[in-house]
This record gives sequence, C-alpha cells and structure tokens, in this order.
Amino acid sequence: MNKIWIITRRELSAFFDSLIAYVLIVIFLGLSGFFTWLFGNNVFVIGQASLQVFFQIGFWTLFFFIPALTMKMLAEETKSGTIELLSTKAVTDWQIVTGKFLACWLLVAIALVATLPYYMTVSQLGTVDHGAIVGGYLGLLFLSAGYISIGIFASSITNNQIVAFLFALLIGIFFQLLFDVMGFNFRGLSGAVFNYLSMRTHFDSLSRGVIDSRDLIYFASVVLAGLTVSQAMLSRRNWQS
Amino acid sequence: MQKKSNVILRLVVLALILFVVNMISSKLYFRLDFTEDQRYTLSRATKDILHDLDDVVTVKAYFSEDLPAQLLNNRQDFEDLLLEYENRSGGNVVYEFVSPNDDEEIEGEAQQYGIQPLVINVTEKDQVQQLKAYMGAVLMMGDRREVIAVVQPGVNMEYDLTTSIKKLSVVDKPKVAILQGHGEPSLQGLVQLSGQLSVLYDLEPLDLKQKSEVPGYIKTLAIIHPKDTISAEEFARIDAYMAQGGNVFVAYSNMNGDLQSGYLSKGTSIGLQEWLRNKDVQMGDQFVVDANSGSVTVQQQNGMFNFRSQIKFPYFPMLSEFPDHAITKGLEGIMLPFVSALSYIGRDSVTQYSPLLMTSERSGLATTPAGVSIDKRWTEADFNHGSQTLALALDGPLVGNQRAKLVVVSNGQFIVNGNPPQQISPDNINFASNAIDWLSDDTGLIDLRTKGVTSRPIDQLEDGEREIIKYINVLVPILLVLVYALIRKQRYASKKQRWMQGNYK
Repeated sequence: MNKIWIITRRELSAFFDSLIAYVLIVIFLGLSGFFTWLFGNNVFVIGQASLQVFFQIGFWTLFFFIPALTMKMLAEETKSGTIELLSTKAVTDWQIVTGKFLACWLLVAIALVATLPYYMTVSQLGTVDHGAIVGGYLGLLFLSAGYISIGIFASSITNNQIVAFLFALLIGIFFQLLFDVMGFNFRGLSGAVFNYLSMRTHFDSLSRGVIDSRDLIYFASVVLAGLTVSQAMLSRRNWQS
Repeated sequence: MQKKSNVILRLVVLALILFVVNMISSKLYFRLDFTEDQRYTLSRATKDILHDLDDVVTVKAYFSEDLPAQLLNNRQDFEDLLLEYENRSGGNVVYEFVSPNDDEEIEGEAQQYGIQPLVINVTEKDQVQQLKAYMGAVLMMGDRREVIAVVQPGVNMEYDLTTSIKKLSVVDKPKVAILQGHGEPSLQGLVQLSGQLSVLYDLEPLDLKQKSEVPGYIKTLAIIHPKDTISAEEFARIDAYMAQGGNVFVAYSNMNGDLQSGYLSKGTSIGLQEWLRNKDVQMGDQFVVDANSGSVTVQQQNGMFNFRSQIKFPYFPMLSEFPDHAITKGLEGIMLPFVSALSYIGRDSVTQYSPLLMTSERSGLATTPAGVSIDKRWTEADFNHGSQTLALALDGPLVGNQRAKLVVVSNGQFIVNGNPPQQISPDNINFASNAIDWLSDDTGLIDLRTKGVTSRPIDQLEDGEREIIKYINVLVPILLVLVYALIRKQRYASKKQRWMQGNYK
C-alpha cells in the first residue's frame, strides 16, 4: 500500500510541477463555470437552488477532460523507456497502475473541490437539497473513476499519447452515449444489458441523492476491469509465449 | 516471468466474476436515500395507511412485458414498490402482473377498466414498428375498484398507489362542504383541489340560502372566492355551526386588482371582512407588494418586432419561506396575486394564533385606488414595511365556548381553475388541501402530498448583484487554482535557492 501511495504522490506532484494540471483544471473550471452560471440554461435561468445544471455539464466535461489526463500515464513511460527503470524497483505492475489511477482520481477530486464555491452560492440563494448535491458529487467522482481506468487502459496499449487519447474517447463514447441509445432501441434482455452498461443510468441514479448498491458495484466493476486489463497489458513485456 | 496463457486465463476468470457479481447485485441490492425529503423512501403517510389496512387489496398490474429498457425500469420500480407495500401491510396488499399483449382477453379487460396503451416507436430489424405499451393497474378491495390508468415513474408512483389504496379503504369519508350562492366557483371550477380532496373527503356544495343550517356532519366548511354579499342570516348559520365546533376555511380577497384595465381598487364589501373582524381577524385595505415576486408576461414592440418578456411584478408576492406548521409542511413556493395583509387583533390567551403565509422582509404596502404601471421603477423605499401576513390559522373558542378552527387566506383565486380550467401550481393546491386536512383533524396525507415537489426557487436578486455572483462563481475557482500555482512556484524557487547555497535539508 505504501508503495502505491509513493507512486500516487509522485505522479500527483508531477502533474502540478508541469503545466498540465493547471491547464486542464482551468479549462474544466472555465467550461463548467461558463455553462453553469453564464450561458444557456444556467442556474439563474432555471431559477432553482440546485446544482443539476453543473452535474450535467460535469458529466460531459469530465468525459473529455479525463482522457487528456490519462493519455500519458503509461504511454509516455513506455515510449521513453522509463517504465523499465520503474520496474527495476521493487514495485509490481499492479502497484504502478493503481498508483497512477489514484493520482488521476485525486486530481479530478481536487478539480471538483474547486467547484465548492458553486455549492456555497446556491445554498445561500435558496433552500438546497444537500443530499442530492452530495449524490451529484459522488456521481461525478465515481464516473471519473470509471473513465480514468478506461483511460489508463487506453494508455497501456500504445506508446503514442494521441492514440491513447482517441482510444480512450472511443471506448468512453460507448459508455457515455451509445449504450444508452442502444438501451432505448433494443428490447428484452439485450436492451436491459445495454441500459445497465450505460454510465448515464448509474450517474443519474446517484445524482438524485440515492446511493444504490447496484451503482456502486457497477462503477467498482468498471474500475477493476480497466485496471486489471491495464496491468495485464503493461506486463506483456515480460510475457513468455 | 509469466505465461501469456496464464494472464489471459486470469482475465477471463475476472470477467466471469464481475459478470456474476453484477448479476447478483442487480437482484439483491440496498439503497440509502440521502434526499432531504426522503423522496425515494416510503413516506410516513403510506406506512400508516398500510398499517391500518384491515382487508386485502389486490393489485392487478397490466404491464407489457417486451418494453424498451427505460420503460422496463418503470415496471421494475413498480414491482419493487408493490413488494414493499406487501411487506409493510403484513400481506394485506397482494399483486400480480399480467401482460395484455399476449392475450386478447386480458387486453379487452384492461381497456374495459380504462387502461389505454401508450403507443411507442421501436426499431426492429431496421424497421420502425409501433408497440402498444400497457402500464396501468387496477386495485380491488371487495367489490370496490380504483384504476391507475398509467403508472407514472418517480414520486408520483407512491402518491398514486397510496391514495388509491386510501380511497378504497375509507368506507365513510368525512364530508367537506363548499359554500355556494355568492358567485363562488363550483366544484368543476376547482378541479385540482376537489381531485386532491376527494381522496379523503366527500365534497358537497352547500347553499345556505336554501338550507337553514350547516349540517353537523360537515367536518369543514370552505368559503372560496365569493363575489356577492353573504347575508347576515347566513353568517348567523355559520356562527351557529362554529359554536358547535365546526371548522371554516376562508379564501377571500377584499381587493380588486385588474391587469386588463390596469386599475387597482378596494373591492366592494360582501360582509365577509366584517365577519372576520368579529373573529379578531383584520384585513388590510392596501395592496401588499413584495420585492420577492412573480412575473407577468408583457407584449412589447420594438420597431417591427413584437416580443414577449417577463417582468417582475411586486403585486404578486412570491412566498418561498414558511413558518413551521402542519399546513405548510414541505411547501416550496406559492404565489398570491393582489392581496391585502391580515392581522390578528385578538388578545385572549385561549385562542391559538399561527401565521401561515408571510411575505419577505422586503415588503411594502401600496395605497388604493391607483393605476397599475408595469414599467414602474421600484426602489427599496417601496419595500419598507417588513414581512406581512397573508394567511393565518386560529384554534380556540371562536364562537361560544366550543373549540373551533379557522384558516383565512387573503386571496380567493389562487386555487380556482376557472372555466375553461387552467393549470395551477401544485403547491397552491397542496396548501389548501393541507389546511382542510388540518381543520378536519386528518393530517395523514400531508407528508405524502408535498413529497417530491421539486421546486426550490432561488431568492430574487437585483440585476447587478446577480451579475456579480455569476462572475465570482466563474472566476474564483480559477483564481484559487492560479494562486496555488503561484505559491507552489514560490516554494520551488526558495527551495532551489536553498539548494544552491548548499543547504539540502
């Protein structure tokens, strides 16, 4: 555990030592702020003391934001050969993958913490349903965990960051949109399966303010599957056929 | 070193485990409801009603089986809900699901009950087909029957189901009379209110010109939006009823606001104001204006173009905060157009007085008669009278020695649908129903009625204030991040300097 934490901390400070973290967080906050407060159906147009607007925006901004965050995680290490260096240390591939996953997740959490002023503002403007807001934030956090594990997997199969980014988006779009659409178009068992696979189903359920064991198990499964496959892909340099 | 086949085997095993875990979890699950009003948990009202059931209610749900996934969820939710009802009622609620699509006989039966299919488009083998989706239910108790034509998703599901069970289980409903004969709206003119009240009560019109008394079995007498004079004899009959412990609900405005003519005046007296004064309730003779108000739609012309815009109109106070009382429980927003203020001037210590609806602190009083101007520039000086009471409840010996209850709202129109009927905000209706429940000593449905009303209006702000809040919210988070970047850079620079001086601590 300690080793995972060391990797997490190192990765996180690497984010903050380079410009990446700042650029991404500022873009995320800029877009979220713009759509939540200034443009279109913003909080004042809807006139309700809730953060549903922000959660729906976050649902999409995180979808684009996360692949940009995860694309370099393993791809760059493989390309520059530093992965070899890392594996000479006494850490397992699983620890590397988990450490990097946690670093990304923490970064997203920090970005979400920076939106707490929104929460404070709406709770001043009217009576808010705190449970629904906590649920919304949890939904965004779990959603991010899912996309980070997908992003890390995409980063593990190539040493080109752009390919990793696009591949993460490609897989992501199924979970984000296509499964949802298919869930509506298919009937019977296949419809139910697609509907279950869609992130939106589970995100919407959480952001109502209801913590459902089905949603938690779904997100945990996506994370576990993504990380395990990434670890397997990372370990392929050691494979014997 | 590991073998490729081992790795693949491990992945396959994991995939299987995840598959099985997810399969099990979709059948066996638990939920924690963190919403403020416990929206997704059975309400107290439902639990009480189920607990008190003394006969079996059979629910026959007519649901198509082959539905698209989203609608299938609706079926699943309904089944979950029924299961919970069955458990809570100790087996007094039993249910079965049938699919009308498979059997013409069942389909005929469903339609006979008034359950109509929704027609939805589905794509199958590259062809758009129309599917008849049945999503209704019939509840039966003995030979009585209640029909839910379409089971609505969400909070409505519990409301529909519980109120249908309640309707079935109450044999002798208490009676509520609606006063007639002075230009009041008929029961048809109060579609929403009478719909909601009919769950618990039998409503009957009452014309006191023809009847010599208010019958003793009437739990509550409602006087809603009268326009013509109520005679002294009629008031005497009402007083006699109250002296026996009868309860009265009054929704009446003594002001006359007309947007069409743009003229505001005091209404002609119909005697009600004087009657209320005998009960120590004084109605003001000025219009209440509130900075926190509803809007009116105005047609404006700009060059060749006509456009509609919403203009805030302080004569329509918007109430969003409520005193703590059974009647106002769970309410979120009520708008009362053209009202005067109420005050209680009684001094006896036995009568209990509670204000129910109050305007915001930024309220004022506008004198009459006056013209109404939409374009008027309102200033803070217009709103310097503090919070005004627009509805109140009294409980005590109001006439004679017997305890009676009285609720007064200084607006009559807010619950009237009119003819042709117009939709009214649900909280207006909830307020009136809650008041009649409180008057009739049956507060069992209040919990459920206001459950899941999702309107949480934000306070009204000045334009400038709003702009500031907008930009603060967009910029502050970004600034926070930039400040952090700067601090980190500083720390790094000072660390570097220390290192250059040979200090590696």
